[in-house]
Amino acid sequence: MAAQSKKVLYGLYNDEEELKSAVKAAHAQHLDIMDVYTPFPVHGLDPILGLKESRLHIMGFIYGSIGALFAFLAMTWIFTSDWPIVFGGKPYWSVPAFIPIIFENTVLYSAWGMTITFYTICGMWPGVKAKILDNRITDDKFCLAFDVTEAPEGDVKNLQGFFTKTGAAEVNVKTI
Amino acid sequence: MNLTNTQFVFEGKTKRVLFGGMALGVLCLLLTFINDDEYHTRFWTNILHNSVYFTGIAFLAMFFMCAQITAFAGWNTVIRRVYEAMGGFMGVGLILMAIITLGVWGHFHHLYHWNDPNVNVTDPAAPHYDRIIAGKKGFLNPVFYTIAVMGFLGLWYFWYRNVRKLSIAQDTEETASLDYYKKIRRWSASFLPIGGFLSPVFIWLVMMSIDPHWYSTMFAWYSTASVWLGSIALTILLIIFLKSRGYMEYVGPDHLHDMGKFMFGISVFWTYLWFDQFMLIWYANNGEETIYFNERMTHYPVLFWGNLLMNFVAPFFILMRNDTKRKLGTMFFVALIVFFGHWWDYFYMIKPGARIAAFEAKELAEGGHHSSKSHEAAPISDATARHDDASHDDAHHEDAAVSHAAADQSDNAASESAETAVAAAPAPSPAGHADHGGGGHDDGHGHGTGGGEPSGFRLGFTIPGLEDIGTMIGFLSLFLFFFFRQLERVSLVPHKDPFLEESLHHETGALIETELEAKGHAHH
Repeated sequence: MAAQSKKVLYGLYNDEEELKSAVKAAHAQHLDIMDVYTPFPVHGLDPILGLKESRLHIMGFIYGSIGALFAFLAMTWIFTSDWPIVFGGKPYWSVPAFIPIIFENTVLYSAWGMTITFYTICGMWPGVKAKILDNRITDDKFCLAFDVTEAPEGDVKNLQGFFTKTGAAEVNVKTI
Repeated sequence: MNLTNTQFVFEGKTKRVLFGGMALGVLCLLLTFINDDEYHTRFWTNILHNSVYFTGIAFLAMFFMCAQITAFAGWNTVIRRVYEAMGGFMGVGLILMAIITLGVWGHFHHLYHWNDPNVNVTDPAAPHYDRIIAGKKGFLNPVFYTIAVMGFLGLWYFWYRNVRKLSIAQDTEETASLDYYKKIRRWSASFLPIGGFLSPVFIWLVMMSIDPHWYSTMFAWYSTASVWLGSIALTILLIIFLKSRGYMEYVGPDHLHDMGKFMFGISVFWTYLWFDQFMLIWYANNGEETIYFNERMTHYPVLFWGNLLMNFVAPFFILMRNDTKRKLGTMFFVALIVFFGHWWDYFYMIKPGARIAAFEAKELAEGGHHSSKSHEAAPISDATARHDDASHDDAHHEDAAVSHAAADQSDNAASESAETAVAAAPAPSPAGHADHGGGGHDDGHGHGTGGGEPSGFRLGFTIPGLEDIGTMIGFLSLFLFFFFRQLERVSLVPHKDPFLEESLHHETGALIETELEAKGHAHH
């Protein structure tokens, strides 16, 4: 969603343990981390980063409830007033027969709803160009990134010193 | 990770509590035996119900463990010894099921209508010949019952013993190797088809054949999912108990979270089967199938709907969130509901059918013509109602004498009255139990409403009474006694298991606010 480009200072580490201790050190020094990129999910990284629990599933519950309610009301309307048909001698309003469709619609709504919400939050839509700091972060490097778009020269120097101290194999600046 | 305190000690105090529970169970069984109908239906259904439920829990603990070992699951290694100790109850289950099987041969109980010696429904010459049950004779007979119930259970127990022996031997291994692990895997993988394919036959005979006219291809799945949940819930309760006693410090919220996910997922699976079994029968509306649900929804509404409430609504909405699965308190609460809920589910599967079987046995044995006697059919009325009947019957002196004799002696009286019934009515229709209720004088106790089926409230059948709950506590104490005995035999941690390290560092990746705060991490 951010239309402006960002200037990012990032360090690449060779090992996830180095990355974890670097994140801890950054927190100790009250540095504002932009993001962390790893080739695989690193256990124990989330609590160190202090990430909050995702609220996506709450939306999933809401979408699912809407789907269930919609299916139930739609079928009630269709089979009682819009186009009543007798199936196998059952009453028009045969709730047990509605349940499979209610279930399917619940799954459909929550799945689509969460997918669309997730892509929207992440700013991913067709035609978006991927902002990749370094190709090796999907291979064997662990990346810690700081947003230095508005940072004064002195802060950038400090951050570079931080990377050297925490054992980063490489430090780069990139505008994305 | 703290791996100390791995030897469980079965304290004298725990033992005393469990012996107290067992004594309560015996007392409740005695009470039900005394205040029972002439076939002791409530007494025998309680024994069957609890035997099958707790044996099933042991079987599924074994099955679940084997499935996880076969699937290379590593997270559960630290709680494997709990499954192992639970599975050991299959040995006691063998004895419990032997009692039921002996009852089938000796006709101590009338749980199974296909095995009723007085009305012999499978004999074409008998007055109450039943073509449908006769068609199932190759399957529903005492010999096959014995083979399936005792044989299959024995086979599972044999497999359990082997896995358990290897698992204990693994602890004594000098150097780290995969020898024992590979052997355990072989026994576990081969247990899956043996347990999976034989358990439906077991459950058809033991429980579904209580309603011999009715059949459902969903039943085996449904009852297995039910007892699986009972097993998972009991595992969670026991882990929380062990943690409260200072054991299993290494079992953290992440392990509990995964157990909670299983409880949540299988609860949905159970609901799917519960509903499918109902919906297919409701939709097709075949008389012989529909009557099963019609009977239960009309006369056992508390059982029917309570089942759904405890086993779907409660676990589904409580366990849906992440944090509830990671907290000891909520997990204990939900596991308790689910454990009791599936005990209730088995109650629902057994009691109405057995009550009808006892009623039919009584009706058919009497030929269904003596109305003044047939309202003595005790399965339909509670103890006080029977008392009223007795005083009411004093008006008819001859009848009262006959019916009291019938009520006091079980087998002999029933066969005698069967003979008199045959003598009095030489050719009753095959559907003798359906045409009952038309004639005779009014007795004020309705079984007329159900078209020959028993109706009305009766404690211990329409809802579990105090004695039934007490019996359950007795069986649970028995289960726990053998569980703790097994648990103290060996270390709580399989020290030499190749997956132990993975299990000790298990992480689901889920985070909840309170845990983060407890760990002292800052929020941004």
